[in-house]
Amino acid sequence: MHRSLTISAAPIDEADLVAARASSTTMGAAVYFSGIVRGSEDAQPISALEYECFRPMAEHQFHRLFDELECRWPIASVRLVHRIGVVKAGEASLWVEIVAPHRGEAFAACQWLIDEMKRVVPIWKKPLPGQPVPRH
Amino acid sequence: MQIRVQFWSYFKELTGCAQATEELVEKATIADLLQRLHARFPKLVSMQNSTLIAVGVEYQGRDYVLKAGDEVSLFPPVQGG
Repeated sequence: MHRSLTISAAPIDEADLVAARASSTTMGAAVYFSGIVRGSEDAQPISALEYECFRPMAEHQFHRLFDELECRWPIASVRLVHRIGVVKAGEASLWVEIVAPHRGEAFAACQWLIDEMKRVVPIWKKPLPGQPVPRH
Repeated sequence: MQIRVQFWSYFKELTGCAQATEELVEKATIADLLQRLHARFPKLVSMQNSTLIAVGVEYQGRDYVLKAGDEVSLFPPVQGG
C-alpha cells in the first residue's frame, strides 16, 4: 500500500493533490475528504483555528493507523495532509484520500481513518475569536 | 530517577509551563507521577478523568512502571481534523 503523510503549516492545495494521484486500471474507487474550518465554534464566531501537534507521536500514531488500515481493507493508496498552525475559517485543515478496488472499502476506510485520527493522534485546536473573513 | 514531563494544549495554561521534571523512586508508576503532579499543579486535578498519557510516542496506562530517561507527555483529549 502506498502511503503519504504530510503535517505542515502550508495551505492544502487540493487541485495539486488530485493531479498527483497515481492511476491504476485495477483500482475502481478514489475517495477523498476535505475538512474545512467553520466560521463558528460553540455558536461563537471565530476567524480561525490554531492547530498544535506533538509531531513525533502524531506521525507514529498515523503510521500505526495506516498499518491497521492495510490489514482491514485492500487499499492501494492512502494520502493524508493535516495542517498545523493558524488555519483561517473557510480553509482546509485536513485532506484524506483512499484509493481502493471498490467504493465500499474506500468510503469505509476513509471514514474509519478520520474517526480513529480524532481518537488517537495528538493534535489539538484552539479557536481564535473574531469574524470569519469571507472567501471568494 | 528523574522523569521529564511535557504538557500539551491547554494543559500548558493549567500548569503555567510546557515541561517539568519530577524526581521519583525506582519502579514508580505513572499513577505515582500523577499524584506528584496533581499536588504541584492543582488545576490538573479537574482533568484527571480525561487526561491522556504517553511515554515517548506510545499511550500508556496509570500502571506503567517508569524507567529513568522516560519522557512522559500529558494532554487533554485530541481534536485533530
